[in-house]
Amino acid sequence: MKQNRNVKALISDYFIFVIFIALVIGLTIMKPSFIQPGNLVNILKQASINGILSFGMMFVILAGGFDMSVGSTVAFAGILAALLGNGNYPLILPLIVAMFAGLCVGIVNGVGVSVGELPPFIMTLGTMTGVRGLALLVSNGKPITGISPEYRAIAAGDIFGIPMLAVFLIIVIIICSFITSKTVYGRRVYACGGNLQAARVAGINTTFIRISTFAIAGLLAGFCGFLMTSRVTIGQPTAAESYEMDAITACVVGGVSMSGGVGKPWGVVVGSLLITVIANGLDILGVSSHWQKIVKGLIIVLAVLIDVKGKGKKN
Amino acid sequence: MKMKKFTALAMAALMAASMTACGGSKGDSASASTSAAAEEGGFKIALIQQHQTNAFQIAVTEAAEAKAEELGVQLTILSADQDAATQISQIEQCTNEGYDAILYEPVDPDALGDASKVAADKGVIVINIISACTDWESFGISALSCGDNVTAGETEMQHVADLLGGKGNIAILTGPSGDSGGLQRLEGYENILANYPDMVQVVEPADCGWDTASAQATVESWLSAYDLDAIVCENDGMAVGAGNAAGADSGIIITGVDGTPDGFEAINDGRITGTVSQDGGAMAANGIEAAVKLLKGETLENNTIITTNVWIDKENVAEFE
Amino acid sequence: MEYILDMQNISKTFPGVVALDHVNLQVKPGEVHALMGENGAGKSTLMKILMGIYTKDPGGEILFDGKPYHASNPKEAMDLGVAMIHQELNPILDMTVYENIFVGREMKKNGLVDKKGMIEASKKLIEECGLHVSPTETLRNLTVAQCQLIEIIKAISVNAKVIVMDEPTAAITEREVELLFGHIRRLKEKGVAIIYISHRMNEIFTICDRVSVYRDGQYIGTGTTKELDEPKLIQMMVGREITDVFPKLEAEIGEVLFEAKHITRADNKVKDVSISVRRGEILGLGGLVGAGRSELVEGIFGMHKLSEGEILVAGEKVTVRSPKDIIKKGVALITEDRKVTGLNLSGTVNDNIAMVAIKKLLSKGLYSRKKANKASLEYIEKLKIKTPSGEQIVGNLSGGNQQKVVLAKWLLNDPDVIILDEPTRGIDVGAKRDIYLLIGSLVQQGKAVIMISGEIPELMGVCDRIAVMCEGRMSGEVQRDQFSQEKIMTLASAIQV
Repeated sequence: MKQNRNVKALISDYFIFVIFIALVIGLTIMKPSFIQPGNLVNILKQASINGILSFGMMFVILAGGFDMSVGSTVAFAGILAALLGNGNYPLILPLIVAMFAGLCVGIVNGVGVSVGELPPFIMTLGTMTGVRGLALLVSNGKPITGISPEYRAIAAGDIFGIPMLAVFLIIVIIICSFITSKTVYGRRVYACGGNLQAARVAGINTTFIRISTFAIAGLLAGFCGFLMTSRVTIGQPTAAESYEMDAITACVVGGVSMSGGVGKPWGVVVGSLLITVIANGLDILGVSSHWQKIVKGLIIVLAVLIDVKGKGKKN
Repeated sequence: MKMKKFTALAMAALMAASMTACGGSKGDSASASTSAAAEEGGFKIALIQQHQTNAFQIAVTEAAEAKAEELGVQLTILSADQDAATQISQIEQCTNEGYDAILYEPVDPDALGDASKVAADKGVIVINIISACTDWESFGISALSCGDNVTAGETEMQHVADLLGGKGNIAILTGPSGDSGGLQRLEGYENILANYPDMVQVVEPADCGWDTASAQATVESWLSAYDLDAIVCENDGMAVGAGNAAGADSGIIITGVDGTPDGFEAINDGRITGTVSQDGGAMAANGIEAAVKLLKGETLENNTIITTNVWIDKENVAEFE
Repeated sequence: MEYILDMQNISKTFPGVVALDHVNLQVKPGEVHALMGENGAGKSTLMKILMGIYTKDPGGEILFDGKPYHASNPKEAMDLGVAMIHQELNPILDMTVYENIFVGREMKKNGLVDKKGMIEASKKLIEECGLHVSPTETLRNLTVAQCQLIEIIKAISVNAKVIVMDEPTAAITEREVELLFGHIRRLKEKGVAIIYISHRMNEIFTICDRVSVYRDGQYIGTGTTKELDEPKLIQMMVGREITDVFPKLEAEIGEVLFEAKHITRADNKVKDVSISVRRGEILGLGGLVGAGRSELVEGIFGMHKLSEGEILVAGEKVTVRSPKDIIKKGVALITEDRKVTGLNLSGTVNDNIAMVAIKKLLSKGLYSRKKANKASLEYIEKLKIKTPSGEQIVGNLSGGNQQKVVLAKWLLNDPDVIILDEPTRGIDVGAKRDIYLLIGSLVQQGKAVIMISGEIPELMGVCDRIAVMCEGRMSGEVQRDQFSQEKIMTLASAIQV
């Protein structure tokens, strides 16, 4: 009986991983080229920007928040990086400026939410719109061209066959996993999301924690903006439209509870890979875009439904 | 607990819904700008753009401003931000404020007829630019200055066919599903493909929503599974993405439509083969010219003014930059 | 037909746990029937089966009014004549009184909601109950007791023959309890049977006719309150004899350790209150609900803004801007509502224990799962927390065990001054006794304790001194040798100018 229960719990905990594996096997059977090294590299490249963004989102959601503005922030930071990435300055400058811009947006969000006591959804909806406007304003609505070859090489390069983008993602994964599971700060993020009031009574500086999670999301969004410009070789004010939705999806599918306090980094990794594999797989199968949308929607709802049901039984 | 989670999900759904609603109203009237060249006593003309967030539309803005200065008319430019309701109220507003002529690119071909009719009945000259309302003449719209998306598509695909020698595997990247401009370009593609049975579409056309990153990911995936000879894209942004995925001088023919700076850059370094220019600026300028003519009481030779498409590749790109 | 409700041989197994093992319950019409047992004994599970929230295992049967009974959800149960008033009331706070009464079975006229009819019907029902609220008042503006009466009215209005009341007096004042009992007696006269769940012994003997006792999912027995007495009942519940309900350990009382002077809250809920407590001393804070006791300690703890006041720990002045400042000085506050301000219910026991004193669980500056597990195990043993391990999600533990987790979280920080706000509310006799003993051992170690409780016998049994508050002010203090229920009640209801 007990054994049985543990197996069930294990399956429920790792369910999303099981789905992921099943999907990979299914796609390989339908289209063997799916599993070719070349395509695996594609998947890594395609998952990276969303993956990094999802980790920022994970911090915000774990602390009980929500961030709609990351997509716009990617575009804004990407425009700034593109303007500075024309070869006239060392590459570190666009990187720093992009991340700093993201950080500022994040801090504005954080202060609005935890000091101004605005609902995260409203606050970040505001910055989402406003920052998109900034991106259009700075670029005058036009794509920024003239990115230097060195800057382009960042996203195009690889180390021992692993694309640089994926290397960045792996570094972000390692740092974020370390922060969430090993540091005092990380544990406090969970406490804030689990019960904000109780965390405050327990002497945790909840204002700081909440602002900092938004700041992390902004910082990583800024970094993504820098990478995005390098990858697409232009700075586009309209880029990364609705990327926040993909990031939220990766988190939710990966088992991060929308009410905060629950979720693991590896879940987010799988969630974000899952989204990429769906898109990549369906592209490879030559499935029409309309179907892709339907399939993506179904998988999200199913994954979360099973997650909620699994938890419901435990209580 | 379960309830809490449910509420959270419901919220998320709500957000997704409101996102689309909010997307349309960003920066609403902030983009109104009045031409500095406006002279006292000149005609008052309003230009309502679909939006002002890409190179094509910015070219429209700039050309219109230049034309207004040249002809000495007072020009106000508004952006409807892709929202038909916004555009309707802007047309009503301009009518009430006593503009002599209103030029606009309809956000939706079927939504703006009545508003145009009301304006025309009050004696305002109404002109469609870039694309037309359905049955535009019946709503009192005096003229249409446009390129032809079908022709643009035909021009693009014809060049691809010539370059391939009428034979090969091709794939198509489209704009957002349901976009009328995109559908017309697709129609142009199909018109040409009908003549070349050996040009095979090996995958379904993919909707990449005019987005470079999304086109890049799709083409990367395709290239690992399919042997493609040409990738035909409905705009330059997506062509650049496809070019990034394939790499410079890949041997794959990659083409776009629009003739925007990012496209030119990619043509120059060999990532894409060529593009068909849609001269939005000329369409706007021709529209303003027509409006002034009509306001002066002259008549138009033809109330549909077509701007021609130009094929741009490495040979002639320098002339356009 | 002797019984209105007859549940026989009811079992319920959850994966890995037998929650109910062939238990019985027989309720007569017009009686108040108490269900007693420690937390986890199976009372709630049994009631959830009755209400159709859980499905019982095959076998066993329920007869209602002599007929087989089956409800697959609470609405069906209500339609059949069984209503339940929950421990944690769940009225819809932003809806009006009449909407709450008729929620889910709105009156209709011509296919539309009959607002007028519902308001009139509600008005009549409210008047019958001697309640003075308007049917169109929003529930948010009502007191907890009033909300509870609205729930009772709702039960009456569906003509329920059996009403289950789960801890109905947990959140209301003594005066309101009297009112509630009045209503219960009136319902009895109408022949309605009440199933009454409470941990408060005096209530059981005041209002109930018969008692059924459960322990660890087993049915122990049923008796009338006339033939039972408190020790006998406790013995049935706990399975062993408990001689002293309020054990008091001897501790040496030393110098003043904690002082709060002239505390006045910015929102004026507490006005010019001063308290102090010595090493080894247990100070009780008494008063009626709304007297400002919780508001006082929350103010001291930096959870609300003070407009005036001085706080001294071990003679040293402390500036408190947020709880962090006072926690650093070795003060702990176990808040009244563990679910709102005490626990991270979605976190594990470890996560919760790490909330205050995470610094004690570090190894080389990093959070160590091993150390957290070790600390959890230590407190699981020390406080007798019933949980398989420190990795258990706290939301899955019973109330008493959750409360112990809150205690463990604070004790890990090794505080000198411990403030407990209603530490035993809603938990069972055995767990209560564990907590009294724990408090005793804390003062024996030279710590100082301030304890808030609404139960005067508890304060009198445990404390060395009781300070009584009334309407936001301190109305007086009583030393242990002067303790009497009347004295404390007088102070609690004294209105001083």
